[in-house]
Amino acid sequence: MSLLLLVFMAVIGSASPDAATGANETLRRPSGHSLDDSHHPRNSSEHRKAFPVLAFNYEHVSKPFVISLWILLALLMKLGFHLIPRVSHIVPESCLLIFVGLLVGGIIKAMDQTPPVLDTKLFFLYLLPPIILDAGYFLPIRPFTENMGTILVFAVVGTLWNAFFIGGMMFAVCQIEAAQVGHVDLLSCLLFGSIISAVDPVAVLAVFEEIHINELLHILVFGESLLNDAVTVVLYHLFEEFAHEGTVTVGDALLGVVSFFVVSVGGVMVGFIYGVLGAFTSRFTSHSRVIEPLFVFLYSYMAYLSAEVFHLSGIMSLIACGVIMRPYVEANISHKSYTTIKYFLKMWSSVSETLIFIFLGVSTVEGPHNWNWIFVIFTLILCLLSRVLGVVGLTFIINKFRIIKLTKKDQFIVAYGGLRGAIAFSLGFLLTDTEKKDMFLTAIITVIFFTVFVQGMTIRPLVELLAVKKKKESKASINEEIHTQFLDHLLTGIEDICGHYGHHHWKDKLNRFNRKYVKKWLIAGDRSSEPQLISFYNKMEMKEAMMLVESGSAAKLYHDNCSSVAFQQRAPPKQRAIPSISKTREQEIRKILRANLQKTRQRLRSYSRHDLFSDPFEDSMSEIRFRKQRVQMERRMSHYLTVPANRQETPSARKVWFEPEHKVYTYDESESPRDGAALETLPDTVSLLSESPQRPGQSSRLRKRGDTEPSANAPDSQEEPQKLSRCFSDPETLQNK
Amino acid sequence: LSFLECSWRFCGRFKALWMKAALPDFKIRELTENPIGGRIIAAFFPPEKERLDFPSFVRILAHFRPIGKNRSRDRAQPEQANSRTGKLKFAFELYDQDRDGKISREELLQVLRAMLGLQVTEEQLRSIAERAIQEADLDGDGAISFDEFKKSLEKVDMEHKMNIRFLK
Repeated sequence: MSLLLLVFMAVIGSASPDAATGANETLRRPSGHSLDDSHHPRNSSEHRKAFPVLAFNYEHVSKPFVISLWILLALLMKLGFHLIPRVSHIVPESCLLIFVGLLVGGIIKAMDQTPPVLDTKLFFLYLLPPIILDAGYFLPIRPFTENMGTILVFAVVGTLWNAFFIGGMMFAVCQIEAAQVGHVDLLSCLLFGSIISAVDPVAVLAVFEEIHINELLHILVFGESLLNDAVTVVLYHLFEEFAHEGTVTVGDALLGVVSFFVVSVGGVMVGFIYGVLGAFTSRFTSHSRVIEPLFVFLYSYMAYLSAEVFHLSGIMSLIACGVIMRPYVEANISHKSYTTIKYFLKMWSSVSETLIFIFLGVSTVEGPHNWNWIFVIFTLILCLLSRVLGVVGLTFIINKFRIIKLTKKDQFIVAYGGLRGAIAFSLGFLLTDTEKKDMFLTAIITVIFFTVFVQGMTIRPLVELLAVKKKKESKASINEEIHTQFLDHLLTGIEDICGHYGHHHWKDKLNRFNRKYVKKWLIAGDRSSEPQLISFYNKMEMKEAMMLVESGSAAKLYHDNCSSVAFQQRAPPKQRAIPSISKTREQEIRKILRANLQKTRQRLRSYSRHDLFSDPFEDSMSEIRFRKQRVQMERRMSHYLTVPANRQETPSARKVWFEPEHKVYTYDESESPRDGAALETLPDTVSLLSESPQRPGQSSRLRKRGDTEPSANAPDSQEEPQKLSRCFSDPETLQNK
Repeated sequence: LSFLECSWRFCGRFKALWMKAALPDFKIRELTENPIGGRIIAAFFPPEKERLDFPSFVRILAHFRPIGKNRSRDRAQPEQANSRTGKLKFAFELYDQDRDGKISREELLQVLRAMLGLQVTEEQLRSIAERAIQEADLDGDGAISFDEFKKSLEKVDMEHKMNIRFLK
């Protein structure tokens, strides 16, 4: 079925590029006709034709039409794969997509049309940034910084080694008479080497995503693929310039080295500036929440484009921007915006990746090719060889400086995971010298195919075979967070004692600086002084509350809490007196309740396209969290029997979701000291989605309970319904009491 | 004490520090800013002693050696100071000030108060401590024993966390 769909889409897809490229005349004629037809009634009255009810005017929408069609095709393919379970388990998605691209390209070619090629501009400006932004924004910082040294060594030294080794050896190969490629000079070979040596982040992401390898290896290969962009950019431009010149001097080589530093550091700086700008902007977006995600996207894209303007490393700029922006933006934006950003990034990067692979397949079919057996075979062999040698050699040196050594298994996976992809292809496409270009392109495509197909398909069974450690799915634990911070402090202290300014010392200094100055500037409101542990704790509570709401077991939680409270009650069987509320307090409470009731009735919800309505899900979430905290608070109060000093002091978590009704709710709650019987009424869950007038009703209910409950007995479940029926009363009736 | 021999290599640095430590007004500025600075210093001094001698100093620092390759040779010996358990035990003792073998809620609260300072309310501290104990406490006694502590940290990479590189 999916094949049929594929063929169908391919036919349409091929038919439309024709009109776009204007290559075929057959489609043009009807559109020309309709133009004439529509013009005629206006221009001349002699030739009276009927008004065209239905006209075919394709030219008008051809460009967006074609683009949308291609994207739709790509996504339908993606859908189709998952309907065939066997195939998708063995073959990674990237392979399937290239295969589809080949098919589509073949079909288009069979119809004698010109298929769209992976245009370099299209690739570098539109397809690559979303993938890199997605990777950079969600980059796991801790493993990245811990392994930064290793990653940098692999990225810089490894890529350099690869480029020179391949370039040099290929030049030697080209000297072989039988190859008939003697015209390729050293510089062109080096250029070729530099293009093909870079590990590609798109391909690595696509393949490694599916094998769930352990964090260390993942971040090593992935980090390397991201950071080698600077090296690639410099080498490429360098050799391209020199290839035109023909000669190279020592001065030029030195300039090359300087250029490398400029490119990489410059790229990071540009990203840093835009990241700070983005974080600063997000501080003020509290009133226009709907456009928050756009700021993140636009600032990051601008960072990429600005870096590209100066020929700096766009990828590094994008990564730096995402990394810098993230902690501050996340503290400022609403939960919905955060979800939006997450999903948009994933969506865009998914679409881009799919399109890249499909286009790769199509471009392969398109050609033009110049197949030279010796050149291609040797390229392939040398790529593998240089990768293995590079990884092994570098690991030998690196292991002297690492605490956790890289084992042979790790080295193998790192070497094997050096996949080439679309970046190499696009760079090759940019070459201007047509004669060698075709040969180079053919070789590049062969290498890409080999790495993606062969290495991509076999890496999963190899991982299983070698029993490489997989990613551990771990639940966030507050214990880990507390103890990790504790250990950080401990290590900093010990380092201070030793006088050794190590890793922890600088991390501590950075944290202190961050807390004192940076957070005040970039984070809105009082969340700027929220310590990391608290935000972590809040996030965890939120997640739990969401899970509870989703699983619909909200009621269960309160029974559990009640029973645990009950247990604690039995332990100290003291009789506690309930302090009564003074009359004035009662009056105050009633006044507030009544005022609030009126307020809620009068409030009209005016429709505005720019507002996000708080939806019941979010409300119920905050309700649950809120109630959980209240339960705990009540439990504690039962132990200590003190009216808490500052009643208005609610945990900052509540501040985030504040609504006037809740405020009153809290105030009322803490007024009447509980005797530990935390009765969360079942109807709460029922009335969750109902109108707000219920809430003041609830608070009065609870107050009543506080008055009526005589002793510190465990709450009787049978008593509950009784109380409930009594409690659905109007606040006014309380006056009668 | 074989590590003592290794550490004599860095004798010079330790000696300088030692001279500083021998002075009566021993102050390291950064430690005053460190939330658990007081506990760290207290951990160095063995109980009831006012002065710290060099072997004890080195013994404490031995906890922070990276785990070496010669672990297998020393299987006959009791738990090495720089093994994972040794490191965890040291950290545990910093929490457990009264040495009863358990981290009670109060002790955890004290640590949290020290780390988070004046920025949070008592309520929040209590709820965090409550939750931490709920998560880690497997036998339900309301306190965290050493085994429970070890278990809750099993996913954390100790090798990176508790190592001072030059101590190798």
